[in-house]
Amino acid sequence: MSEFLLYIDPGSGSMILQVIAGGVLAAGLFVKTYWFKIKSFFTRNKEK
Amino acid sequence: MQKESSSFRDRSGFIFYEGDSVFRAILPGYKKSYDTFMASGLYQALADKKLLLSHKEISSSDLQPADVYKTLHVPRIPFISYPFEWCFTQLKEAALLTLEIQKTALEYGMSLKDASAFNVQFYNGAPVFIDTLSFEPYEEGKPWVAYRQFCNHFLAPLSLIAKVDPEFRKLSQLYIDGIPLNVASSALPYKTRFSPFYQMHIHYHAKMEMKYSADTEASSKVKLKLSKNKLIAIISHLESGIRSMSLPVNKTEWSDYYNEFSYSDESIAHKKSLVKEWATLVKPVNTWDLGCNTGMFSEIVQNISANVVSFDIDHLAIEKLYAYTKKKDSKNLLPLVMDLSNPSPAIGWANRERMSFTERAPADLILALALIHHISISNNVPFHDVAAYFSSITSSLIIEFVPKSDPQAQRLLVTREDIFHDYDKSSFEASFAKYFFIEKAENIQGTERVLYLMKKR
Repeated sequence: MSEFLLYIDPGSGSMILQVIAGGVLAAGLFVKTYWFKIKSFFTRNKEK
Repeated sequence: MQKESSSFRDRSGFIFYEGDSVFRAILPGYKKSYDTFMASGLYQALADKKLLLSHKEISSSDLQPADVYKTLHVPRIPFISYPFEWCFTQLKEAALLTLEIQKTALEYGMSLKDASAFNVQFYNGAPVFIDTLSFEPYEEGKPWVAYRQFCNHFLAPLSLIAKVDPEFRKLSQLYIDGIPLNVASSALPYKTRFSPFYQMHIHYHAKMEMKYSADTEASSKVKLKLSKNKLIAIISHLESGIRSMSLPVNKTEWSDYYNEFSYSDESIAHKKSLVKEWATLVKPVNTWDLGCNTGMFSEIVQNISANVVSFDIDHLAIEKLYAYTKKKDSKNLLPLVMDLSNPSPAIGWANRERMSFTERAPADLILALALIHHISISNNVPFHDVAAYFSSITSSLIIEFVPKSDPQAQRLLVTREDIFHDYDKSSFEASFAKYFFIEKAENIQGTERVLYLMKKR
């Protein structure tokens, strides 16, 4: 095994990934909720 | 007091045994976290839902080792099993349990600092988290420290089993700290890169690990702030992704699988009644059914023995048996995938962290039904060695002798040269008689097979 592999600390990459993933997923949720709101606005209009 | 050898990595406490009882000692360094854990109500919430093994704080100082903050009395798990012995559904349930615990912990202002699959055991028919010392107070804005470990221990093997081959179950045995994400990433099919779930938690995750691994100042360069809502979004994403995973098995394979029996109804009924009668005579607490298939005989012994562990090499058979135990809500039958010709070894530091299959012996009763031809013909193990090994792992044995003339034994001989000249009833009996008293022997009606009840000498 190379010295490089023995001294790696994969922890920081994992932490940074969570920050990115959290952002992406939260943005996805935001879009989804608004999409449902828009959809329900129109379906509500139809029902009238 | 006997200290558990696998506890040495934990700086928060250790497990020890006193006779048949199991205790968990908490070291002073973990005092603050433990007190918060108990006071927050999280312990009660998890124990009430049976997600976490319950405990009792002991007050008597006789049992309390020196320099220990507190000692907990915990129930003894009848049989310790490991992730590489679980079928897909068991591993999946253990993963979902861990995520549910983390979600609950966050509600109570705590977080899991460990998400090791070895912290889950099967107890009373369901997975339960056993490590009371895995919790720490949650700090707002901090990412989940055990996220990577969760991916190594659960997500990587589940994905490899679901997307590549069920045999990848065994890979967890080679990597005690979980399957490295770069290994999982390179073994997964290319198409998984187009799935946001696999891309995010495995492929990109593996890439990020490598990218920042040599960069000691990485964490200070990036603003590491993750709101609680975002953290919950990640956990929910893992939850829904894992929930939708399934074994790669087509439906016909499932349904045709078990109709193939070499027995007539009459013979099965006779064999069942013998097993029931003899197991009742033995009065076992712990029974192992080796080569259980879908567990027809485990189900009988289940009503006689307090704990039954059923082993088979066939992943699908164990899946089916696990589904059955859940349907019946049976609490004392644990099905596990195991290749008896190459049972689980001892692994970890000094080979002392996880027990081998043999170290988890002895059982009070072993069932070895329709198994001997697989061991002695397919795997070339002489009767003498089988008898010697069985006598080292059990005190009573119900074993079926399958003669060479039997259609199932013939099937094994189709593709091999018949070098098994001493494979007959008399040498079978002679070999086993060296290690066991043969208490009963009876021909199974309508077959040439013989069933024996033996007691260790």
